[in-house]
Amino acid sequence: MTGLQDAARDLLQSGEAAVVIGFGGGSAGGARPLMVRDPTSVGDLIFDDRCVHNLAVYLLKPEVKSLGKPAIVGTQAVLRSILQLASEQQVKDRDVIALIPEADGGVRRLETLGEIEGAVSKPDAVLSPEEQNCLDEIASLSREERWRFWQEEFSRCLKCYACRAACPMCYCSQCIVEVNQPQWIPVPAHPLGNMGWHLVRAMHLAGRCVNCGECARACPVDIPLNLLNQVIEKEVAEQFGGKAGLSATASYALSTFTTDDKDTFIR
Amino acid sequence: MARIGVFVCHCGENISATVDCAKVAETMSGVPGVVHSVDYKYMCSDPGQTMIRDAIKEKNLTGVVVAACSPRMHEPTFRRACADAGLNPYLCEMANVREHCSWVHEKSEATTEKATDLVRVMVEKVRRNEPLFPIKVPVTKTALVLGGGVAGIQAALDIANAGHTVIMVEREPSIGGHMAQLSETFPTLDCSQCILTPRMVEVAQHPNITLHTYSELESVEGFIGNFNVKIRKKARHIDETLCTGCGLCALKCPQKKIPSEFDAGVGTRTAIYVPFPQAVPNKPVIDTDNCLYFQKGKCRVCEKVCPTKAIRYDQEDTIIEADVGAIVAATGFEVKGCDFFPEYGFGKYPDVITGLQFERLASASGPTLGEIRRPSDGTIAETVVFISCAGSRDPAKGIEYCSKICCMYLAKHAMLYKHKVHHGKAYVFYMDIRAGGKMYEEFVRRAIEEDHVSYIRGRVSRIYEEDGKLVVKGADTLLGGRPIDVRADLVVLGTAVVAGEGAEELAQKLHISYDPYFFFAEAHPKLRPVETNTAGIFLAGACQAPRDIPETVSQASGAAAKVVGLFSQSELSREPVIAVVHRTAPPLFSKCVGCFLCESACPYRAIEREEIKDRQGRVLKVVAKVNPGLCQGCGTCVALCRVKAIDLQGFTNEQVFAELVAL
Ligand SMILES: Cc1cc2nc3c(=O)[nH]c(=O)nc-3n(C[C@H](O)[C@H](O)[C@H](O)COP(=O)(O)OP(=O)(O)OC[C@H]3O[C@@H](n4cnc5c(N)ncnc54)[C@H](O)[C@@H]3O)c2cc1C
Ligand code: SF4
Ligand code: SF4
Ligand code: SF4
Repeated sequence: MTGLQDAARDLLQSGEAAVVIGFGGGSAGGARPLMVRDPTSVGDLIFDDRCVHNLAVYLLKPEVKSLGKPAIVGTQAVLRSILQLASEQQVKDRDVIALIPEADGGVRRLETLGEIEGAVSKPDAVLSPEEQNCLDEIASLSREERWRFWQEEFSRCLKCYACRAACPMCYCSQCIVEVNQPQWIPVPAHPLGNMGWHLVRAMHLAGRCVNCGECARACPVDIPLNLLNQVIEKEVAEQFGGKAGLSATASYALSTFTTDDKDTFIR
Repeated sequence: MARIGVFVCHCGENISATVDCAKVAETMSGVPGVVHSVDYKYMCSDPGQTMIRDAIKEKNLTGVVVAACSPRMHEPTFRRACADAGLNPYLCEMANVREHCSWVHEKSEATTEKATDLVRVMVEKVRRNEPLFPIKVPVTKTALVLGGGVAGIQAALDIANAGHTVIMVEREPSIGGHMAQLSETFPTLDCSQCILTPRMVEVAQHPNITLHTYSELESVEGFIGNFNVKIRKKARHIDETLCTGCGLCALKCPQKKIPSEFDAGVGTRTAIYVPFPQAVPNKPVIDTDNCLYFQKGKCRVCEKVCPTKAIRYDQEDTIIEADVGAIVAATGFEVKGCDFFPEYGFGKYPDVITGLQFERLASASGPTLGEIRRPSDGTIAETVVFISCAGSRDPAKGIEYCSKICCMYLAKHAMLYKHKVHHGKAYVFYMDIRAGGKMYEEFVRRAIEEDHVSYIRGRVSRIYEEDGKLVVKGADTLLGGRPIDVRADLVVLGTAVVAGEGAEELAQKLHISYDPYFFFAEAHPKLRPVETNTAGIFLAGACQAPRDIPETVSQASGAAAKVVGLFSQSELSREPVIAVVHRTAPPLFSKCVGCFLCESACPYRAIEREEIKDRQGRVLKVVAKVNPGLCQGCGTCVALCRVKAIDLQGFTNEQVFAELVAL
């Protein structure tokens, strides 16, 4: 931990970073996001098993952006998010420094997108065993049963938009649900509008979701949104190759055409 | 407040037989904002159009819905009628109650109800229509012609003679293409070079044509009327301004055994070479892959012998930039080599040759001075077998189409052979003889009847060598499949015509479509045969499909006419149905978040990047911008944009949403 704190202090003192986005102790023994700007406060930074949240979501928040160049405590999910954001022109090279806490207490500092690309591991499954079980279960359902499953899940949605707020890819300044001329997605939290909201969001994340699981973690009514996105992600990878969040220059599966794209999705 | 007029057409009985048109009109008259609603037998007729014009004037209509056939048929008619009456034509819409309703349903209440719904939908759309105005784009009156075969030559000359400037780009050291390689041409047997070379010279001398040989297209940007192209002029290693074309260098070059491309491999050339005596321009190039100096560092003989000191070993490729208004792709074709055919020896028998190689043997300027000598031992061939459809029309070989020219040139070859070797025997194995064309059938008849060429209907299953002869194993299907063996001295394969090397890459550069065989695709096989799907890019010659010279030349003139037509205007009017990226009030400035995922979605590369700056010139945001010259209004970007920052004029989100809600 001191390694991380030292690195943060160095960055802030030298002015290489204006803010370090990391974790601090939260209520009820949890961890919460922490923005450290003062080198003397780096002692508040922690990093342990509680620190699971995807901090990359803060990179594009105007309040954070206005502080100056950030350094961010990076988990793999954060690195994937940075790369995906870079491929969508939201983060440029050397816009952000990633600090990766290592097992031995040291810290790896990544300055460029190229270094981040080198550091991102390319695991096939980033799902927990429970999540995998749940996915397998969904996959074993018939089409009609699956539709009913999601209908039931979505019927609980409160339209609080916590999932959107927690998602690093939901950075649009005016989300489609706020577009009201015309109002494609009904506002109230009733089953029809809920279905509309979630299908549209899933489509908007298709080929872009980095699977940090933040949406499901944020949801107050425990809708396993990340699973929906992951199924789509798997499909996209199988049909068009490539995975979100592995390269800063990747092209977007849904808007690029190559001659070996499959057309098996046309039924 | 909207004042909409609804006009329901009977289309004779096409619509009224199953739809109660009067009832549709009556129902619509009750819809708020509809101030005029009538039905009539033929809305597209003169009286029908007059009804619309009169109603616009009398009732001050702000929108018109014509419920009739597909907008593909009569939208221009009705929009013009509205414009005549002073209404912006884009305030007129059609509800398709024929193809989408009356033709596909039985007569019933429900059919009439559906027709009413279709009209109601359009009324809701028209209510939200905005007047649109054609987009004007300027035109650069210079054409780029890619390829200097007979197609490119014809197109370039036609355009240049109409008074416009032309830039011609040819990949090889000389223009001329395949026609320059031919000996005589069917169906008249006139000498190919004799008719082609005057045209080649005309291109070189024409004041309106700039010729870049040994050059290739590097990149294209822009759109109809306004392309910007980069051309790579490959290093010839010659100072063209000094070279007089005397040919001493080639004479002295010690590298003499290089297979000549122009002679299709049956002749040789030197490392510094002019492909053929009448080449245009008559300036050599150094083939660095075969040059001793480039490969081994020693020689420089050409430099020593050149009287004008024109050799430049250190010359490098140069890039030329140009603005052009139209592009003609005339990059031609290639033929499959003998190595494509395992059954015919996979190219291992020197005396099994392609038609193109035979042309060089038969040509008076060829390596054998026009005598039909075997490549293996140089003896005169006494028996020659010609095989048509070698590769073509053979799904197993992956070439399902007919190469079209082989029937004719094989008849020509057999005839030329018989004229040269009177006692020789010529056999043609064929599947069937395709001789559609002016004087073509007569030509083939002449080969059979006057020159006594033996035509055998059947395929050749195998060729092998035996005692210096080629045994051709075939069957005569007209004699019940009786096997026939011919012991031949020479076998000529009418190998399949295929797309040129690099055709796919070029098509992708130009952003034009191509078929599964990489021939360039026309915009419509019947009605727009020389246009491509990309406005301002046209096609000429065998790059589109196998074709002979007469067809090639007519198509080239057709493409030239299209270019000249385009250049006859100083400004182009384009449909305003294009996408726009909306601006919004600060601090957002635009809903666009600059993800540019739409950039690659646009099939026409119309999405550009635009910086929004404040008064001090600081960049506040980089957002997408649609180039109105390139956008074709397909709407792909609109579907892709998550925040709906892009909208399609004439089909806005609001309009489409209103249409859905009206249902
Ligand atoms: C064996 C044989 C015999 C024939 N005999 C006859 C006959 O008797 N009568 C008849 O009517 N037709 C005959 N034909 C058909 C005739 O050759 C073609 O119709 C004609 O050559 C087509 O002209 P083109 O300009 O379209 O293509 P080409 O002649 O192929 O010319 C294309 C030109 O474009 C150039 N090029 C290619 N790619 C590029 C590029 N990327 N950039 C720049 N330049 C490029 C090539 O180097 C070439 O110079 C015969 C064909 C063959 C194979
Ligand atoms: S976080 Fe949960 S409840 Fe809130 S909008 Fe998202 S899915 Fe609905
Ligand atoms: S218009 Fe839409 S899709 Fe295109 S860059 Fe802007 S936000 Fe992205
Ligand atoms: S409407 Fe089609 S052509 Fe126009 S910018 Fe959008 S994607 Fe490109």
